[in-house]
Amino acid sequence: MADTVQEFVFNLTFPFTRTLGSTLSTFSSALAQGQIIGVRTGGRVIAPPLEYDPDTAADSGTDWVRVGPKGTVSTWTWVPEPTNLHPLDHAFGFAFITLDGADTPMLHLVDTGSESAMAAGMRVEAKLKAPADRVGRIDDIIAFVPAADPSPSEGAGEPFVAPEENDITEMDAYCDLQYVDNASPTTIMWAKALMEGRIIGQKCPQCDRTIVGPRGMCSVCAIELDESHIVEVPGRGVVSNFTIVTPTPYPGQTETEPFARCSILLDGADAVIAQQEILDVPVSEIRVGIHVEVVWAPENERSAADIDNRSRGSGGDIIVGWRTTGEPDEPAARYLDRMM
Amino acid sequence: MAPTENDIAIVGFAQLPPERRTNLTESDLVLRSTREVIAQVGIDKSEIGFTVSGSCDYLSGQGFSFVQNTDAYGMVPAINESHVEMDGAFAMYEAYVRLLQGDIDIAMAVGVGKNSNSDPSTLFTVEFDPYYLTPLGTDTWTLAALQARALIDSGKATERDFAEVVARNRANAKSNPFAQVKGDYSVDELLAADYVRNPLRRHDLPPTTDQAAAVILARGKRAYDLCERPAWITGIDHRIEAHLPTVRKDITTSVSTRLAAEAAGVGKGPIDVAEIHAPFSFQELILRESLGLDASTEVNPSGGALAAHSVMTVGLIRVGEAANQIIKNGKNRTLAHTTSGPCLQQNLVCVMEGDQ
Repeated sequence: MADTVQEFVFNLTFPFTRTLGSTLSTFSSALAQGQIIGVRTGGRVIAPPLEYDPDTAADSGTDWVRVGPKGTVSTWTWVPEPTNLHPLDHAFGFAFITLDGADTPMLHLVDTGSESAMAAGMRVEAKLKAPADRVGRIDDIIAFVPAADPSPSEGAGEPFVAPEENDITEMDAYCDLQYVDNASPTTIMWAKALMEGRIIGQKCPQCDRTIVGPRGMCSVCAIELDESHIVEVPGRGVVSNFTIVTPTPYPGQTETEPFARCSILLDGADAVIAQQEILDVPVSEIRVGIHVEVVWAPENERSAADIDNRSRGSGGDIIVGWRTTGEPDEPAARYLDRMM
Repeated sequence: MAPTENDIAIVGFAQLPPERRTNLTESDLVLRSTREVIAQVGIDKSEIGFTVSGSCDYLSGQGFSFVQNTDAYGMVPAINESHVEMDGAFAMYEAYVRLLQGDIDIAMAVGVGKNSNSDPSTLFTVEFDPYYLTPLGTDTWTLAALQARALIDSGKATERDFAEVVARNRANAKSNPFAQVKGDYSVDELLAADYVRNPLRRHDLPPTTDQAAAVILARGKRAYDLCERPAWITGIDHRIEAHLPTVRKDITTSVSTRLAAEAAGVGKGPIDVAEIHAPFSFQELILRESLGLDASTEVNPSGGALAAHSVMTVGLIRVGEAANQIIKNGKNRTLAHTTSGPCLQQNLVCVMEGDQ
């Protein structure tokens, strides 16, 4: 059916701030000042520093050491086509680079312009962002580039004296991933019925329960249900549970005032549909037992775009919400102790 | 062997056909794989004392997907259930430990991964060290390639050796009805391909696979009610190394695999068949050496992880394939291995034996 979306693209994007702890704060604060440091622990200098010695799990301590800015490539690879997560938009290398003064390598980018320039043993040096652009994150080093002068770095291996208090104690990070899901046969049946103004469920032949919306299975009996188990249920039912959400601001939250989301047990159904909105009852008067009926969007305004595999039982943009029928409430006790 | 009440065996294994892109959900896949294994051993689901799954929300892009997946177990009345955000092989390990408590006889472990929703070139960046790796967009292919280059530079292997691993696994996969990538390929033909991450070519990387699998474990004599020749787990161990490959002393070997293999008693006798989870071709070479296998062991007759690689399922399939060598194929002592994390960070080794 042309109106039913078969594939959904969604982006998982969220920012967050990490606290760094004392070791990484020291590293970050020094890096923002243009100094790369390591920590001497267990007889070797680990750079970038770790809070613990990976061999012994002992506290790495605060024996800071200046390392780099030059170093030597050991193992390397080449990224011919960078992704959106890579810091450079042209082909580049990744390498283990043992900085002068360090005993363990750092993983970082090597920007040579060509794969043929990459080699184990090559001398490289860190190319940093301008001081004003540095935030104390590992990508303050834009990349390593072939060293103009292969001689040892000046001052590498010497002690680094950390300030009493670090300038940088947090780090901004982000998640930016894209997913492409495809509508399952069950999701397609549900969306198609909604577009036609019908609410459907599946009736389990084993336990006789009618589950709305269809799940492609009976989640009591653990058996597969398919198109042959589809039944239509009326767009009328009773509020069986609700919650009032007081919105807190976060990226993507459009609500500002408290709102109610209700579970509705449709007539003839054995499983509720959840997260439904009652259109004509103030939040303070929402209660269990109210009779409601569905409010469809006008046919020419219906879209199945929001109905994906994750929103089982959701009416998307096709069901606007639910309104009261005016019938007397059912006793709330009838809806206690439901598990679905 | 006469089992004691503390001996635990794999008694059933079912896997769904691997697909590059399924139109089913993870819950659908769990339902189909668990129903099949339950039918295979001939029990009612109410006889299962513990159910545990391995899956990852980030793969399918759905928060709490493992909760929705439990619909497939039929949890009325409530069941004893658990989940690991790891491969189903690690779920199997939890089921094994749970059975050792001695109060239940049957457990089920499931692995499920709808991998096709996400992009393997970017997805794993979010699972790496958030301070030193993630901001650089460090990807799983890059880390593998750095390990592969180190292996070549150490003189232990060549790109031709990598291609030979691929050609052999794909040829083995021809006789596996559950293989996604199979066929006859010449090494020269493979070596003519471009690099994705020098020195790795597309064929050195794992395929993208949607799949689910399930095993049933049973304790003591109960195993014989479910299976004629159970695959008794005689050793199992899981070891972990530092997350950052840069602080490991030598990434051309796998210390955690060697330690796990020793603890699982791999060397106590000959291993007839080993099912090794090497997501990248060259890692099979590292793992064979670290497991201490010699030429007498047949490695990956299924085609291994290069034939189908549903992250969260592939390790459990190694367990199931190795168990089936005992249950169905008359082998006496087999090994299953699974790995997780960058550059073989974590490794689980499971040794199974049949009654003789």
